[in-house]
Amino acid sequence: MNADNKILVIGGGMSGLTAALEAAEAGSQVIITEAGPYLGGRVAQLHRYFPKLCPPTCGLEINFRRIKENPHISFYTMAEVTQVSGSAGNFDVTVKVRPRYVNDRCVACHACAEACPQWRVNDFNYGLDKTKAAYLPYDMAFPQQYVIDKSACSSDCGQKCLEACAYDAIELHQKPQTLNFNVGAIIMASGWEPYDATKMDNLGFGVVANVITNMQMERLAASNGPTGGQILRPSDQQSPKKVAFVQCAGSRDENHLPYCSYICCMASLKQATYVREKAPEAEVYIFYIDIRTPGRYEQFYWKVRDDENVHLIRGKVAKITQEPGTDNVVVVAENTATGNKQSMVFDMVVLAAGMVPSTKASPFPLPLSYTPDGFVIQDLLPPGVYAVGTLKGPLDVTKSVQDGTGAALKSLIALGRRS
Amino acid sequence: MAGEILIKPDLQFVKRVIAAGGDTVKKCYQCDTCSVVCNLSPDEKPFPRKEMLQAQWGLKEVLSDPDIWLCHQCSDCTVYCPRGANPGEVLGVLRQMAIEKYATPPVLAKAVGDPKFLPLLIAFPMILLALAAKMFGYLGIPEGEIVYGKMFPTLLIDFIFTGAAAFAVAVLAKGALAFWQDINAPHPWRVKVEGNLAGNLIATLKDILFHNRFRLCETTYKRSTNHLFLVFGFIFLAMVTGLAFYHEWFDPHGQITKVYVTMKLLAIPGTAALLYGIWNLIKERQANAEKAGYGSYYDWFLIYVILVVGATGLLSWLFRLVGIGILAYPTYFLHLTAIFMLFFYAPYTKLAHIVYRTVAMLHARMSGRGF
Repeated sequence: MNADNKILVIGGGMSGLTAALEAAEAGSQVIITEAGPYLGGRVAQLHRYFPKLCPPTCGLEINFRRIKENPHISFYTMAEVTQVSGSAGNFDVTVKVRPRYVNDRCVACHACAEACPQWRVNDFNYGLDKTKAAYLPYDMAFPQQYVIDKSACSSDCGQKCLEACAYDAIELHQKPQTLNFNVGAIIMASGWEPYDATKMDNLGFGVVANVITNMQMERLAASNGPTGGQILRPSDQQSPKKVAFVQCAGSRDENHLPYCSYICCMASLKQATYVREKAPEAEVYIFYIDIRTPGRYEQFYWKVRDDENVHLIRGKVAKITQEPGTDNVVVVAENTATGNKQSMVFDMVVLAAGMVPSTKASPFPLPLSYTPDGFVIQDLLPPGVYAVGTLKGPLDVTKSVQDGTGAALKSLIALGRRS
Repeated sequence: MAGEILIKPDLQFVKRVIAAGGDTVKKCYQCDTCSVVCNLSPDEKPFPRKEMLQAQWGLKEVLSDPDIWLCHQCSDCTVYCPRGANPGEVLGVLRQMAIEKYATPPVLAKAVGDPKFLPLLIAFPMILLALAAKMFGYLGIPEGEIVYGKMFPTLLIDFIFTGAAAFAVAVLAKGALAFWQDINAPHPWRVKVEGNLAGNLIATLKDILFHNRFRLCETTYKRSTNHLFLVFGFIFLAMVTGLAFYHEWFDPHGQITKVYVTMKLLAIPGTAALLYGIWNLIKERQANAEKAGYGSYYDWFLIYVILVVGATGLLSWLFRLVGIGILAYPTYFLHLTAIFMLFFYAPYTKLAHIVYRTVAMLHARMSGRGF
């Protein structure tokens, strides 16, 4: 098979998977590289997602099944593209694969994790809990294969895991691998990172107990999350009865992210329903500058707004402190409708943190044009290279999926032109 | 909000705000970060968000809003503003325009805020002083021991400067009175005052003297210290001047002479405090320019006048001690020019804040706004 029929998809999240599957099912050879140890990206971390508010397994599972059944797709996890040369129709790509230390004989029996004596911070749950150094990223992870975090697994830790494994699945001497591919088109789908909430020194994240981010809230609500799906505040594992959502925490702010992150309003409205469903007596306050509900989402906003336990207050929160002597959080905002500055005490505060394109921290190994905020400028991409979803601007899942399909079609057209 | 409010936007007003240095006012999207991060702003109807709205909508009443004077331009709002709308700078411009509004004649305030008129503003006291020296003193470098009285006889100095001061006090008093009436006139933003005027005034003055409010600033905290030096420098120098005046007019050979000779030494720490304060204010402004803004020409006008007053004062003294007449007399002439500018233009420059801010703080105290 020559390069003309091959497509490289960088990133195994929702948009990357969509692009890869659409292209493969149309007959192309597709290679997916994913930096993390599992496919599914940020969507896998959500409790429920728009538009249908179903859990991420619905949507991801069908895609995983399509991958398994399709001989045209190969994928590499823990893999990063380090070098790209050539041009449309003939790109030479170098991919570095980090060792997983667990091979595909793994049956996810959990024996290694049980035997493992050491712990690591669970990045899948945004640091809300810990896993063993030998771990499965999350219960439905695809591939269903454990990972050993060598940086957290020192001295005899690895040996203990090895001895516990009855399937010869652990290979402690794996080395990083370098792979080379020749492809005709490249689809960049490396997604987004949550904005580092500690950068907003007035919003207390990391300093004030029980101030969490919206992605952490998703994990708290998810049944496979650190609290088993109960929403409990981190400091004392109590169910919060009064929760504040702080909109535009970093977004639409020249000191942080000058753009609107698009998803945070809907995320907070959605999370307000999580709180209300799990604790019917709980009260929710959403502090906002403008509630932005793109397209049909407006109807969801009406529903949440009409809940008498949900209070929408127009005014940005600019000060968050710890209530002295308690684990509660003091939030200061001006209600601009009444013109009064209020200090209110909450059990827990959720910062609606924004989106940063992954290319901001790690630019793609090709000279591309970026906006000052690190987003890829679509019109200035070289021929044969396409960008999808949140790489071009903040976006929701639905639109990213549509964009993924579009990118697949564009690459097919580009390949077709050459053959 | 109770009742309907008919708003009368004035586009020219917005354009003037923008031209005077509040060019960022239209960037504000009313998120209210500023009102929350401000440590000086009260809980009820806090500033500066509402002032930003009034300014960008062209509601001129904002110039009679006492809250623009409660602002000490800490610039915490400007630092945290998500839009770069610089509320601190905009309120500074509104204060400048309020000074202009309450000044008689307003055109002089306009001139003070416009670099075009600077030569004229300097020429006026120079010509006046030169004429005065020519007619009643000596315009040139007098022979012999350096005694500034040879150039400007004491009586002449007293006449010119008490005149300038009296003029300034009268204009400021008129402005303050009009401002007080405007604050208490019926309008949608009015807050009623209650309590004893004199008692509250004393408490307010005490607050001002120790900069209790000013010290709540975070970003520009050092400014409050530097400003305190400046204020005490002025107070010391005013005491010496007052004493000299008393000594000269009411008690030329009496009891106070001894006290006066000792008290005269207060001028040394006074000048030192003044120069230390103003110099560090300049340096702080430059260091904080990126975060808090550089300030407008109007701000710098007063800063430089004070700097020149202090520097020429010190140099006149030094040159006299060393005995270099050719430098001493011209320096002294400049010193008097600067002092005249400070006094005579006080109702039109930023110096007028002494009066308007006091009135606003008094009002805030009497209307229970946490001041």
